[in-house]
Parts: sequence; structure tokens; C-alpha cells
Amino acid sequence: MLERARPIACWLYRRGENLIAIMIGVMFCAFLLQVLFRYMLNWPTGWSNELTVVLWIWVVLFGAAFVVREEEEIRFDLVYGAVGQRARRVMTVVSAAALITIYGYSFPAVFDYVTFMKVESTAYLKIRFDWLFSIYIVFVVATIARYLWLAWQALKGPGPEDFDPAKASSGV
Amino acid sequence: MMLLDPFALSLISIVALALLGLPIGHAMIASSILYLWLAGLDMGTAAEQILNSLYTGYLLLAVPMFILAAEIMNAGTMTERLLHFCNAVVGRFRGGLAQVNVLQSLIFAGMSGSAIADAAGTGRMMQKLMTKDDKYPASYAAALTAATAVIGPIIPPSIPLVIYALVSDASIGFLFIAGIVPGLLLAFGQMSIVAIDARRKNFPIEKPIPLRKLPGLTLRALPALMLPVVLLVGIRGGVMTPTEAAGVAAGYALFISIIIYRSVTASQLYSALLNSGRTTASIGMLLAGAMVFNYVVTVENIPHSLSALLISWDLTPTQFLVIVNLLLLLLGCVLEGTTILLVIVPVLIPTAKALGIDMVHFGVMVVLNIMLGLITPPYGLLLFIMTRIAEVPLRDIVRDVMPFLFVMLIALAIVTFAPDTVLFLPRLLGYQG
Repeated sequence: MLERARPIACWLYRRGENLIAIMIGVMFCAFLLQVLFRYMLNWPTGWSNELTVVLWIWVVLFGAAFVVREEEEIRFDLVYGAVGQRARRVMTVVSAAALITIYGYSFPAVFDYVTFMKVESTAYLKIRFDWLFSIYIVFVVATIARYLWLAWQALKGPGPEDFDPAKASSGV
Repeated sequence: MMLLDPFALSLISIVALALLGLPIGHAMIASSILYLWLAGLDMGTAAEQILNSLYTGYLLLAVPMFILAAEIMNAGTMTERLLHFCNAVVGRFRGGLAQVNVLQSLIFAGMSGSAIADAAGTGRMMQKLMTKDDKYPASYAAALTAATAVIGPIIPPSIPLVIYALVSDASIGFLFIAGIVPGLLLAFGQMSIVAIDARRKNFPIEKPIPLRKLPGLTLRALPALMLPVVLLVGIRGGVMTPTEAAGVAAGYALFISIIIYRSVTASQLYSALLNSGRTTASIGMLLAGAMVFNYVVTVENIPHSLSALLISWDLTPTQFLVIVNLLLLLLGCVLEGTTILLVIVPVLIPTAKALGIDMVHFGVMVVLNIMLGLITPPYGLLLFIMTRIAEVPLRDIVRDVMPFLFVMLIALAIVTFAPDTVLFLPRLLGYQG
């Protein structure tokens, strides 16, 4: 069954990439319009300001949930890189279990916070904050699912791969 | 602080989870939630802190735009034209290509805010050029490229300085200007080392390009060379905020790549956008983790307790700066730079302020120090990247990078003990500090 799901997963992954590229593209255009409008036409634009911030939150959380690969995340891998396969499996299962427990246990509180924010909307675009922040719920659920999968892979699968420190990028 | 105190437990949890190999962002978020849980506070606060600090962190929007600008410049022929220009200027000296490497990093630093992007983009090209026909040993070329990439985030624009501005509330415009002199100092130091090595190891001279060709090559590179000027005048003249300037830099790079140089394809633009999105998300996670953890640190009043403790030791500002430098150099050997900037530096800032240390001076020093961490083993991101690009063992690059590391430490010492090297330019432009 998993083999059949692979093409679908790849297709979805590509669409995720498309979405994140579009979001950065729109953010880029909004910046250019903002400078153009304010200094050439003398129209202040609060909306573009707000749009870029909204996109920024979504790029970060959507990207972290669906697009950034394991090997691109920034981690401390001096120990992980030095130990053998069996130890890595154990380390992955333990850290995944801890993460799933904490994110899972705190989930109701997170859900409450985000749904409570329906009482406010953004200043210009009038986006309700519960909609805007709903990506955080998606992020938490996707992270839990990802770590369940990683733990399962570490237990039953071919075992965790080497991390490639040159692929992690933090913009420094 | 008792061992079972919630804060102590959350600290232990961060270290343990990070050692187990969990991404650092997740390790910080999970451990902060653990703190809230143990302290009996609302665990939804973690979500609130992350979402609100992302929402109000307008300054951070500069990050995706600076990455986009660098990606576009690397995709087009802008970088190549700059190389031709640099070659015409310094290629005629002994060790010409090595000097070109320093000069192009210096110029590129004025357009890009990320050392990693510089090494992966222009660094890859320099490595190929320098090792063609065995002109230079591959490990020397790789070490030099790693060392010169460090200039990128010191000369404005700079992503680490943007992040520092966020955690310190210092003016990003003045921070950018303050980076110029230290950046030039680094380049000067590296060029001197190259000049000495060139004579000692008898490096080749490039075929001199006749001086009458220089104006033509300058003209071809001019639109690219103008970008730093556009940026600095824009920010200093108050025409744009630094965040907008980052967007404008990307727009300018795209404009000249498409209209003047006719060199960027649609698929290159797409991958530039995508790469910017990916890097943004992975920095964003680190920011999210650091923000919620910094909330915990603030609730526990750690920065002020530390400040009170350090001040009770009667440290002079200079002694404090020396301790900070040693601490950060040590951490830089094992930790990733943005993590240090986001987690360790905010704890030190209140003490620096209490001792009357200028925040712009402190910022440039801290960022320079953390950038040195990119080329210090065992954990040096630039070393890893160059190992991959040059396909030479890490220890060979480490051996060849040592002289460069040494001059950079001298530059760090100058910046630390002579604040005027940093503050001279900003004061000239109206900085009150």
C-alpha cells in the first residue's frame, strides 16, 4: 500500500513546493509595490505591509511542516554523526517519543489559543486571527505525523540516514 | 536553582534533545512547553509567543528577500561579470586568482547578506577557476574561499546583523554602516596573507589584462557594482526601511539580470524563489524556538540575574568583552551561528548595556566573532560546504585555513579593543553613541 502512495506523496510534495515559491513571489511583489506606491505615487499602503507579514508566518510554518526536509533542518549532530546505526535508531525513537508526547499533550491548549483568537482581525485586510494562525495547528499536527513516521522508520525501516551538515542553511 | 526546578529541567531537556539529534528549533519549542507544563502555566502560551513574535517581527522579512537577491545574482551572469572585473584589477599580481577570490568576496559582500550563499554561489566558481590546470592546491583554494565568504555578513547587507538588531533593538541602519570598516579590515588581512603565500609558494600570475580594457569591463560590471550603493543610499537617506531595501535589492538584481544582462530563465527564477522559501522556513523554525525559549528565560529573569552577578564581580567593559569573545569563540566551534545569536547573545545584552558598551559596537563584534565560528572546526558550516564543493578532506582545509583564521582573530581583537574602528563611520553619518 505504501508503494502505491509514493507517487501521490511526491505529487503533493511538488505542489507544496509550488505554494511556498508562490508565497515568496507574492511577498517580493508586495515589497516592490509598497516602495513604488509610497515614494513615487505617495500612497501609503498598510495592506502590503500586512500581506507580507501574513505570508512570512505562512512560509515559515507551512514550509517547516511540509517542505523542509529532515537533512535541511539545523541540528547539533556531533554525537549523532559519531555513533553507529543501532544507537541512531534508539536516539531517533527516544527524541521522537519526547516530541510527540509534549506536542500531543499541549495540543488542546494550542487549539484553544488559536480558536480564541477569532475575536480579533488584522487591521487592513480584516483577516480573522484564528484563520491566520490556523497554520500553527496544521504545523503541530504535521510535525507529530512526521515524527511518528520517523520513529516507525527507525524501528522497522532501513534506519536513519547520515545528516549532511552542508545542506542545513540558516542564512548566516 | 534546584535540579528539579522547571527551568533547570527545561534546560537539561534542550541539551538532551539536541544531543539526540532533534532539530534545534523543535528542541527549544518542546523544552519551553515542558517548562510551561511543569511551572503550571498555560501551554498555549508557547503558540502565542511564537505567532506573535513572528507577526510583529517585521524586520525579519528582510531575511527571505536578501536570500532571494543572492539566489538571483548567482543564477544570472552577474557573478561572472564581477569576476572578469576583479580579474582585470588584481589578476596581474602574483597569486592573482587568489587575490581575485578576496576582492570578489568583498564586492559580493556588498550585495549578499549570507556567507553560506556566497560560498555556495561565487565560491563554487572560484574553486573551479583556481584548481583548473592545477594552478592552486584544491585545499588551499577551498580554505581561501571559506575564509573570504566570512566577509559577506560583515559588510552590509547582513542577515546576522538583522537578527542581532531584532534581539538588541539597535538601529539596523547604523549596524550596517558599522560593518563596513571591519569588513575592509578582514579583506586587507586576507589579501596580505595571500600576498605572503604567493611569494612563498610561488603561485601563478594571471595573464595581465591590458589596462585599456579596464573601462569596458568596469562598464559591463557597473550595474552589479551599483547595487551596494543603491542599498546604502536607500537605507541611509531614509527612502526605504532596511526590510524594503532587501526587497528592492532582489528587484534590482532581477531587473538587471533580465533586462540588461538577459541571463535569468523562468526555471532559475522559480528555484531562486523556492530556495528562498526553504531557507526562510528553516531559519523561521530556529527563530520560533528561540523566541519561545527567550520568553521562558525572561520569565525566569535570567538576563538580569546574570547581569547583577557579573556586575558584582566589578568587571571592566574590556574584561567583559574579552570574556564574551572567548565564550562565543568556544561555542562557535560546536554550535551553529544563528542559534548562538538568538539564544546566547540576548542573555549577554543586559550586562553589556549596564556596563555602558555601545550596542552597535557590541553587535558588530559579536557577529564578526560568530562568523569566525563558521570556519572553526569541528563544527564549521563553511568548512563543510567547501569540503563538499572541493572534494578534499576536511583536515586539509582546516590546515590551510589556519593562517586566515589567525588574521581574522587579529581583526576581531582590533574591533574589540578599538571601538572607534567600528563607530567612526556611523558617527560621521549622525549616530549618537
